[in-house]
Amino acid sequence: MSRAGRPWLPRFLRNVLLWLVPAWAVWALLAPGYNRFLLASGQNLLRLTEYPSATLLVPQGPHDARISRLDLGKTLEKGFRVTDLHFHLVLLLALFLAVPDVPWRERLGHLGWALLLTIFFDIFLVFSTVKSIYATQLGAWSLANYGPFARNAYGLLHHLLDLPGKLSLPLVLWAAFYLPLLLTPTPRAGIRSIS
Amino acid sequence: MARKRAPHPVKPAARPPVSSAAADSPASVWREHRREITFLVLFLVLLGGGFALISLNWVNDHVVEPFTAGIARASGVGLNLLGQQVSLQGTIIQSHRFAVNIRNGCNGVEAMLIFLAAVLAFPASWRSRLAGLTIGIVAIQLVNLVRVIALFLTGVYFPKLFDASHTVIWQSIVILFGVMLWILWANRWAMAPLSATETPVESAP
Repeated sequence: MSRAGRPWLPRFLRNVLLWLVPAWAVWALLAPGYNRFLLASGQNLLRLTEYPSATLLVPQGPHDARISRLDLGKTLEKGFRVTDLHFHLVLLLALFLAVPDVPWRERLGHLGWALLLTIFFDIFLVFSTVKSIYATQLGAWSLANYGPFARNAYGLLHHLLDLPGKLSLPLVLWAAFYLPLLLTPTPRAGIRSIS
Repeated sequence: MARKRAPHPVKPAARPPVSSAAADSPASVWREHRREITFLVLFLVLLGGGFALISLNWVNDHVVEPFTAGIARASGVGLNLLGQQVSLQGTIIQSHRFAVNIRNGCNGVEAMLIFLAAVLAFPASWRSRLAGLTIGIVAIQLVNLVRVIALFLTGVYFPKLFDASHTVIWQSIVILFGVMLWILWANRWAMAPLSATETPVESAP
């Protein structure tokens, strides 16, 4: 129950819909810069697993990336759309900003932690995307450099992170901070709680 | 809604004073956040298990693909009712102007699995879970049907918008719908409502 005695759920659902458009606008505005940050960070993470360092993730326009390997001496005919990896940020922003009756300072604090975790997740998603391409999509080169276990492991990792991980992350983070709101039984209509 | 089940216990309003070291100990964190941690772990295990299951070739070929073909047929019926004159070939919907292939990620299975994992992980009665799953899965598939039809029409009339609509807009809408449906279920139906004599010990902030 809210401080005003009104149930929070209808206001939460309304707020989510209201926050969607500004959240989408902010995400769309920042996406090109965030893409470059993710590519640089993902490239550094990938190079930690390589000796000598070979991966080069080259931005292609504001939304796409092309994978290049210095040891192969040419750009691979593989790339991916970086913007598609992090559109869950729109849902995250809307869900975290929409919770009513939580002071703004606390709400933004929770959002900050959630964003930080999401950024780490997104960097790891870039890593798994490129690794799964290396392990499964480069034909003879993949077979020569990755064994059956590694091919399956990287394929499964990317499968789990790309759809369920990416899509459920806002829900997981929201639940981590706000699940107690749902675990409190709802008073019957017409009965006000004392708060 | 009348229920026989007693409401889940809520956190006590006042706790005995503890030292800061004891308050930060893993045992204390566990006691304090037991239900949240249990929910999150169960949710992730169920979600990972579900997606690992559908990644198996046999499950994909014998369950997911036929299910997706069913979605294509239902979407084809809807599009024909809208005068699009489409034909079907497995999971492919095509007309003389545009064609789409419904693949994993577009069949609503992901949203269904996320919803299913969230409902099963939430502390509720099996009856309430079953009701939530039945209504939720049907609702998610209806929204997904609208999504497939809308995407096809976008491809026909606004082809430049198709890519953004496909990945960002509609995927977000379907997932957000599933999340909001779960929150609605968890708040309104999963938890037993308090009776007139009960007052929430700890109100939402």
